[in-house]
Amino acid sequence: MTGPLVEFDGVDKSFGDTQVLYDVDLSVDEGEVVVVIGPSGSGKSTLLRCANRLEEIQGGDIRLDGRSVIETDVNAIRQQIGMVFQSFNLFPHKTALENVALAPEKVKSETGAEAKEDAADLLDRVGLADQADSYPGALSGGQQQRVAIARALAMEPKVMLFDEVTSALDPELVGEVLDVIEGLAADGMTMVLVTHEMGFAREVGDRIVLMADGRVVERSETQSFFDEPSTDRGRQFLSRLL
Amino acid sequence: MATQTESESSGGVLMRDRLVKRVGEVAAGGFVLAIGGLLVWILSTQVNYELLSSPLIARRFAEAFFLVVQIVVISSLLSVSLGVLVGLGRISTSNVTGRIAKGYVEFFRGTPLLFQLFVIYFGVPRLWATGEFPFSDWAIPAAIIGLTLNHGAYVGEAIRGGIDAVPDGQMEAARSLGMSRVMALREVVLPQAWRNALAAIGNDQIILVKDTSLLTVIAVPEIMSVFRNINSNQLDPWTPLVWVCVLYLAITMSMSQLVNGLERRSDWGSDSRMFGRLSGLGSGDDADGGEKA
Repeated sequence: MTGPLVEFDGVDKSFGDTQVLYDVDLSVDEGEVVVVIGPSGSGKSTLLRCANRLEEIQGGDIRLDGRSVIETDVNAIRQQIGMVFQSFNLFPHKTALENVALAPEKVKSETGAEAKEDAADLLDRVGLADQADSYPGALSGGQQQRVAIARALAMEPKVMLFDEVTSALDPELVGEVLDVIEGLAADGMTMVLVTHEMGFAREVGDRIVLMADGRVVERSETQSFFDEPSTDRGRQFLSRLL
Repeated sequence: MATQTESESSGGVLMRDRLVKRVGEVAAGGFVLAIGGLLVWILSTQVNYELLSSPLIARRFAEAFFLVVQIVVISSLLSVSLGVLVGLGRISTSNVTGRIAKGYVEFFRGTPLLFQLFVIYFGVPRLWATGEFPFSDWAIPAAIIGLTLNHGAYVGEAIRGGIDAVPDGQMEAARSLGMSRVMALREVVLPQAWRNALAAIGNDQIILVKDTSLLTVIAVPEIMSVFRNINSNQLDPWTPLVWVCVLYLAITMSMSQLVNGLERRSDWGSDSRMFGRLSGLGSGDDADGGEKA
C-alpha cells in the first residue's frame, strides 16, 4: 500500500462560534500506533470523533485508505473504523457476547451462529471467555472496557480509535485494559490513542502527537519526545507531568 | 452510604429515627383500624347480601365487566402502539414530524377525555348526511377511538422520556459500529427506552382502565352504568358499589401484575442501574470509577 492509512488534512472543526480544531494535519501509516496527548480541552477527543464522523468537520478532509471519509457513506466508513469510548457504552440489555455479536449480525449480515462464534473468539482474546453470558451491569469497569474493545474489533476495522479508554477506570483496573491494547499493537493493529497515561504512551506509541488549543504543536518519535521534546510546548507539557 | 461521623450526635439521631418510625407505625395502624372498622360497619349494616348475590345483578355486572375488559384490551394495545409511534415522532430528525407529534400530544393531553369522547360520539356522526353514517352502534367504536387517542398521547410522552433517558453514548456506540440510525434505535435505544418507560406506561394504562367509567355518558353499558341502574331501581347504593369496587380492582390489579412481569423480564443484571449512571456521564469528566469491581 502506498500512502498513509489515515490522513487528517487541514481539518477545521467548530462548535457554533467556537473553533476547536485549527488546520490539523496528521497521518497514520498502516500498523502504526499514534498516541495523541495534550491538556484537557485541546481537541484530542474531538479529532478522533471527527475521524468516524461523530462530529462533522467544517474544513479540510480526512481520508481512510486514500478515500475521503466525508464523501463516503457514513455507515460504510464507520465499519472500517473501530471506536472505543471513555464510558464504555456497552449495551446494558445485551450480554457480553451479544454486545460483540450484534453489529456483525445486523450490519454485516453474518448468521447469528457465525457472529456468536466470532464473538466468543474475540472475548477469549480479551480474556473474558468466561463472562460471555454476563450482562454489562455485572462486570467491572475494566471488564466492560475489554468487552467494548472486542465489540469494536468484531467489525474487523482497519484502524482502531481509543478515546481516553482508561480515564473512567479505578486505578487497579487500568492495567488489564492496557494489556489488551498492547496485545493489539503487537499484532500490528493500526491505532490512534488519546490518553493521559504517559507511561503507557511511551511503551506502546510509535509516535507522539502533542495537541494544545486545537492545534498540533509537536509530533515526534516516542523515544525522542520523552527524551528531549523539540518544542517549548512539549517541554512545558512534560515538565508539568513529572 | 454516608456514614455518620459525629459520634456524639449519632445516638440522638438514632433515638429520633426510632421515634419517627414508631409514630409512623401508630399513625398507619390507627388509619387501618379506622378504615377497616368503617368498612366492616358498612358491609354489615348497609349491604343487602341477598341482592348482592342475586343472579340478576351478577349477570348484568358480568356482562358489563367483560365488555370493559374487551374495550381495555383493545384500547391498551392500540394506545401503546400509537404511543410508540408518537414517541418516535417526538425524537424524529424531521421538523415536520416532530411538530405534528408535539401538537397531537398537546391537544389530547390538554383537553378533557370527556370532551374528546363527546367530539367523537356526538360530533363525528354529524359530519355525514342524516342516515348515511356507516356505524349503527357507534358508542363502543367511539369509546375505543377516544381512549386510544387520549392515552396514546400519554404513552407517547412516556416513551419520549424513556428515549431521552438513554445516554447519548448508546446511540454513538451503535452508530460507530456502522449501524444506521433506524437500526440503532431498534436494536439499542428502544429496548432501553421501553424499560425506562414501562412504569409510566403501566401507570397510564391503569388510568385507562378507570377512564372507562366515563363511557357511561356516551351510552356504553359499562360497569358504572349498571350501578346507576341498580341504584335507581333499588335505592340501594352500597350493594352495587361493592360489585363496582371488586370489578375495577380485578382489572387494575391484573394490569399491575402484567406490568410487574414485564419489568422483571427486562431487568438486565443486578447492577444495570449503576451502569446506566456511569455511562450517563457521557464524556465523563469526573468519572471517579464508582463501578463495582
